[in-house]
This record gives sequence, C-alpha cells and structure tokens, in this order.
Amino acid sequence: MSEAFSDTNTLQLEIFPSRLLKPETAQNLLNEIADLSGVIRLFVHGPRLPQTVPYGPATGMPVNHPGNTVIEVGGQAIELAVYVGSIRMEVIDADVKEQVREVCEDLLPVSFEFREGNFIPRRQTVTDYAKRGPGADPMMIGMTDPKGKLKNHPVCILKPEKDE
Amino acid sequence: MAYEPQYYPGATSVAENRRKHMSGKVEKLREISDDDLTLVLGHRAPGSDYPSTHPPLAEMGEPECSIRELVEPTAGAKAGDRVRYVQFVDSMYNAPATPYFRSYNAAINFRGVDPGTLSGRQVVEARERDMEEIAKFQMETEMTCPALASLRGATVHGHSLRLPEDGVMFDMLDRCRKEGDVIIMHKDQVGRPIDKKVNLGKPMSADEAAKRTTIYRVDNVAFRDDSEVIEWVHRVFDQRTAYGFKPEN
Repeated sequence: MSEAFSDTNTLQLEIFPSRLLKPETAQNLLNEIADLSGVIRLFVHGPRLPQTVPYGPATGMPVNHPGNTVIEVGGQAIELAVYVGSIRMEVIDADVKEQVREVCEDLLPVSFEFREGNFIPRRQTVTDYAKRGPGADPMMIGMTDPKGKLKNHPVCILKPEKDE
Repeated sequence: MAYEPQYYPGATSVAENRRKHMSGKVEKLREISDDDLTLVLGHRAPGSDYPSTHPPLAEMGEPECSIRELVEPTAGAKAGDRVRYVQFVDSMYNAPATPYFRSYNAAINFRGVDPGTLSGRQVVEARERDMEEIAKFQMETEMTCPALASLRGATVHGHSLRLPEDGVMFDMLDRCRKEGDVIIMHKDQVGRPIDKKVNLGKPMSADEAAKRTTIYRVDNVAFRDDSEVIEWVHRVFDQRTAYGFKPEN
C-alpha cells in the first residue's frame, strides 16, 4: 500500500442527489463508478435503516425495509445498511472527476449536486487510531462506519489486485 | 355584526392555507373508514368497544359544580374513554400541514384536546373517540398528503430528510409504501404489522402540494414575499420585547 492514498494530490468528490436513491439506482450508479479506473475509494452516506424497531411498543420487531437489501457492486455483494443519500469518493485526477460527472448525468433520474472538497480525512484521526491502532493501512483512514463494528468488515475492497 | 376571526395575516397562498387549517374550513379529499383508522392507530382492535378508564359520567354522580354544569363533556369524557394519542410527521418538502398548524387546528376546532407541538412531529392526546375524530378529520382533508405526511407514533425520523425517489417521505420503519398510484399503510403508527393494507389514497402531485402547503419556502412562496405577515411578525416581536422589558426602577 502506498502512502499516495493519503496524498493531497487526489481529489475528493461528493455526489448529492436531490432525492434519496432507491437501492437499484444506487447499485447501477455504484457499478458504473466502480468500473472507472482512477477511483481510489468511496463510501455511501445516508439515513441508517435498522433491522429491528429500535424503540416504542414495537421494539425488537423486524422492520424489513425495502431499502435494506443486498446490492451487487463490482461482482461483490454488499449489504446496504443505509438509504443512499450521497456518495463521497476519492479519485486520482480531474479527468476521472469528469468521468464520474458523466456517469451521474447518465444514470441519475433526479437532479444532483456534484462538488469537490474534503470529505474523507486524509490524515489519521484519534478515531482511526482507536479503531485500527498505529501503522494502519492509509487507505482505510476515515473509512469508518461510526455505528459499525470492525469485525463485521464494514469496508469492502472491490479490486484487491490493484491495491498491491 | 358578529365577530369573524381572521386567524392569520397575509395575501399569499401559504397564508390562505394557514387560515384554512386554523379555521378548519379545509377540503375533504379522501375517505378512510373507521376500522382502517383504528387499525393504523393501533390502540385497540377494530370493531371492539372503547376500553374505559372510569364509569360513564352519568353513572358516576358528579359533585355539584357550576363549571361542570356549564361545560358539556366531550363524547369521550362522557363515556369514560382512556386518553390516547395520535402523532403526525410532516415533511419539510411542501407537506400540507406543519406541527404548529395541526396544533392550531386541533386546539381551535376541537374540545378536550392536548396538542403537543415539536419541531418535526405533532401529537394530540385526547379521550380515545375524540382523538379518533381529530385524526380522521386531519387525515381525510387537505391537511394531509399521504406521501408527505404520515402517522408515526414512534421513530419519527424523516421529516427533514430529502424525499426518496418515489416521493414518499423517508420512514426507517417502512410503515407507508407507494403501491401503484396509491399510498398504503401496512404497519400501525408504532411499526407493528397490521392484518390488512390500509389505503390512504393518492399522493398529491408536486404542483398540488406546493399549492396546498402551509410552509413558506424560498423555492415556493418565500416568507419575505408576504409583506403583511412580515409586518405582523415584527409587531409581535417588537411588542413582546417592549412589554417583556421591565426595568427595576
């Protein structure tokens, strides 16, 4: 793993659709983005979907939300724990950024905001240190599900051969 | 000349809708049967008697009291019903009502109610049959769009989130769904599955919701467009500041 992944030369992007995306739309979009070369890492962001009712008289009953489904991205099954509200990613340069924008324009059925900024920490934070300890993979910096457990492998590596 | 309450200032469609909600002169848009309503409220089984918390007032023998003689008890109080609640959540994306206007509607037009107004939800507590009357009124009229407002007794998250692609306000407990061109509710207001799908009617189109909303939004009718409302809001704030200011000497 190279240190370049936490390099400031990379660009970070956010795709922010005007509506929350259905799992099918999210799957199509993520597949197209995963096919682009030059996307280093990304995560989806949105309201969490609980497996069971968290409080009230129905506490503990299964929810079976249609958004809580398994999508297939780059040949790997990923369980969606959130309703996709935005996608944040790191790409290598401005060309890839334009390719991502084209994919969004083709696939998103709703209007969207597309912006460049700082969305994933580039340096190790206290949280990263607490979760992964010293000498953690720089690729994993900031890729933390605040409510997930590391043992559940919340981070999915789609193209492991390219990380070598 | 009889006094006609004016309820709310302003010349825009939003101000007009606010007056409608407060006065209770709203258009009825859909029909929801009593059994369906009982099912989605989830307080008792449809068709069952109202459980009571005390005997009917007529049997209790009330003490002599001029106020009791003056005020006719509501149907629920007369029968000794339990106090139960209904809670609504309205989306910020042009839902017809807002918590404040649901509360104004309940407090002005119904008796024996205890409306609770919160930022994202609005709850009304009342004797069970009185509460059902309000719930039915608000659900059947233009105060509610089944896609942009929903009954949520617990887990109300969603009013301030972007709408999902199908336009039905996000609900993490998935109580409402769009099936065909209507919205159905297949869980009660706290998220327990119910025996049948309750049809809540067709959702409003985006244009209709924008026309019927009581929410000022920059992308629809902006608050600053309504000069009369601005004038009155300023007046209220000025005066309450002036009267609240009480120098000791």
